[in-house]
Amino acid sequence: MSELIEADDLALLATGFEAAMAEAPAPGEADQALFDLGWAELLDAASSQGSATAFSALGKTNSAACLLDDVVAQALGTAVSPDTCVVFPSPHQATAPAQRRGDTVVIDGLVSARLERANTAALAVENGDGAVATAVDAALLHVTAAKGVDPGHAYRRLSVEIAADALTPLATSGTWEAAVAAAHSALAHQLLGGARWMLAEARQHAIDRVQFGRAVASFQAIRHKLAESLVLIEGAESVAQGCLHDPDPLLAALAKSLAGQAALTTATHAQQVLAGIGFTAEHQFHRWMKRTLVIDTLFGSASSLPIEIGNRLLSQDSAPRLIQL
Amino acid sequence: MDTATFRRELEAWLDANTQELTPPYEGAGTMDEQLAHYSHVKRALYDADFGRYGWPESVNGLGGSPLLRAIVGEEINLRGLADPSPWTMIEVLAPTVIDFARPEIAASLVPPFIRGDEMWCQGFSEPDAGSDLASISCRADKTDGGWVVSGQKIWTSFIQYAQRCVLLVRTGEPGSAHRGITALLVDVDSPGVSYSPIETMHGRHDFAEVHYDEVFVPDERLIGEEDGGWQVAMDILPYERSTTFWHRGALLHRRFSDLVAQMAASGDRSDTAAKALGQAFQSLVAFRCRSRDTQHRLAGGQQLGVETSIDKILITSAELELFEAARDLLGGVVEFDDDLDAAMWRTDYLYSKAAPIYGGTAEIQRNIVARRLLDLGPES
Ligand SMILES: Cc1cc2nc3c(=O)[nH]c(=O)nc-3n(C[C@H](O)[C@H](O)[C@H](O)COP(=O)(O)OP(=O)(O)OC[C@H]3O[C@@H](n4cnc5c(N)ncnc54)[C@H](O)[C@@H]3O)c2cc1C
Repeated sequence: MSELIEADDLALLATGFEAAMAEAPAPGEADQALFDLGWAELLDAASSQGSATAFSALGKTNSAACLLDDVVAQALGTAVSPDTCVVFPSPHQATAPAQRRGDTVVIDGLVSARLERANTAALAVENGDGAVATAVDAALLHVTAAKGVDPGHAYRRLSVEIAADALTPLATSGTWEAAVAAAHSALAHQLLGGARWMLAEARQHAIDRVQFGRAVASFQAIRHKLAESLVLIEGAESVAQGCLHDPDPLLAALAKSLAGQAALTTATHAQQVLAGIGFTAEHQFHRWMKRTLVIDTLFGSASSLPIEIGNRLLSQDSAPRLIQL
Repeated sequence: MDTATFRRELEAWLDANTQELTPPYEGAGTMDEQLAHYSHVKRALYDADFGRYGWPESVNGLGGSPLLRAIVGEEINLRGLADPSPWTMIEVLAPTVIDFARPEIAASLVPPFIRGDEMWCQGFSEPDAGSDLASISCRADKTDGGWVVSGQKIWTSFIQYAQRCVLLVRTGEPGSAHRGITALLVDVDSPGVSYSPIETMHGRHDFAEVHYDEVFVPDERLIGEEDGGWQVAMDILPYERSTTFWHRGALLHRRFSDLVAQMAASGDRSDTAAKALGQAFQSLVAFRCRSRDTQHRLAGGQQLGVETSIDKILITSAELELFEAARDLLGGVVEFDDDLDAAMWRTDYLYSKAAPIYGGTAEIQRNIVARRLLDLGPES
């Protein structure tokens, strides 16, 4: 795993990414600008560091840039370009989104807004003995019109059947397992970026808002909710950072699950601290909260991943130590 | 020595000496048996040099990073060779005594402690001073050549096995709070020290109520400055939450692995079982990754502080979740059975309930995170 980028350079890149994301908030709108800033080169030079930087920025700005396509394409070993999109698994799942059934391929998954611009889609197909990467003409994939809970987000359901001979097998260097791990670790950073934003909003509100003649931040019930959020965020962050040094897929799944749990709990606590204003469409909070719901479901959620992780341990009869001092 | 080489050599040595180091008793053993075996393991480690790395030469150590101490305890706990609780006292008390006691006192008293020849204890809590440690009232008054200590302590763990006690006493005016506290290193066999062990709810005598009746403590046993005991106590906390936690984390990992193996053998592949295991594991891993960062900050010479409250909350949650999962999944073993295996699960389950109490309660930790890390201002 390459570790080529200095912290200062990463910070500089992060600033550039955040500015580009803030300028073009609509789904997929910032993609080209991010490629122009060197996103593809960054992924190529230092994939995990690079995606951590970009996805933290996604979480912080709540941008709907479609960078997950590139992270998964890169880990699959297919071309990374603004013209290529990827079909993702169905909500709460991390299995390949397509199944071969005789002469047809049944696709049940999610796609990002990248699809609208893309000419090719990378599609992992479950063959019975593992997933293989294929390429398919993007024009064959139609998404449902439903907008869902968070109209600003990039992801839509995709449910189609296409002829098996429409797929071109890709000679790739990556595996589906590596693609899932790369997605898990990137999405963990996005969830944590969002969780930190929600916590900061709630903290500031608690300090500014006065009731009973004092700041609501002085009430222990409020303080403990915010403290609880910070602890979950920091715990998940350490695991997500651990993924930068260790490409173990189990560690990445743990990071995604923990980050989802931290972000969902922070959303609940932040909403309670914000109270009435946090329930309005006027306050920005609801955008981050809804995005958290969406991102949590991608490649397995805080509620489905523990089952998968538990089953993995049961099939190995023991628990690996994962990280060493 | 680099950590990877150290670990390899340690593992080889442990493999070669497994029989010698394995507890002679079955199950958890009695406290007497546990403590005797703990001393035996510590001595063997010390004599083979592994127990001397990570300690400064001034106390007869062989120097090197504190990571080496973390690794020794980790390997011992993963193999279940000694109970981690008595060992905790070394990692909690020795670093601070080395930092704050007179050098000649540290040089003569610390080596037998880290060799396992001696046990030390920590006399902080009092009947009326638990979470509010700054309100202690056990007094020390100046006399010729030393101090006279009178008062009461409670929950002093392992005092019945201990030769020495790191004691916090009031030297200032009664209302002087943290400003008027001093730390002393007291010999437990001094005239005037008496104690009565208290039975815990898991059926052991882990701690005791202790009376100090005009106990003389010589000047050279002052730790830090007169009225500087609060600083000493605050120095102890981060040690309590670094190396010690790494050791306990290893014990929790072993017990979690035991649970996975038992569940795998039972054939229960329900989602409920998988989810409970997955969640317990993820809490353990969150703690472990966080604690690894903390160990490296300590080894890098950074001053650890209030941020270790996060480590404390994470390990406490992981421990509670692990044994709740065991209780749920093992189907009545904790409640009804008496075989050795059941007794271990029951003991561990019950002892996990102490985790959010000792070393600063769960609520106190959240207060610290809110005040010091989130900067939320004073509480109302
Ligand atoms: C197994 C075990 C071993 C121990 N070993 C030792 C030892 O070796 N040496 C030693 O000195 N002590 C030891 N202790 C004592 C331990 O440090 C104290 O129990 C602990 O500090 C809490 O004090 P307390 O029990 O008096 O509870 P209290 O302080 O009376 O607390 C009661 C409840 O009130 C809550 N509370 C108190 N203040 C606040 C606040 N400001 N905000 C919110 N909630 C609050 C607490 O969280 C708790 O829930 C041990 C305890 C246990 C269980």
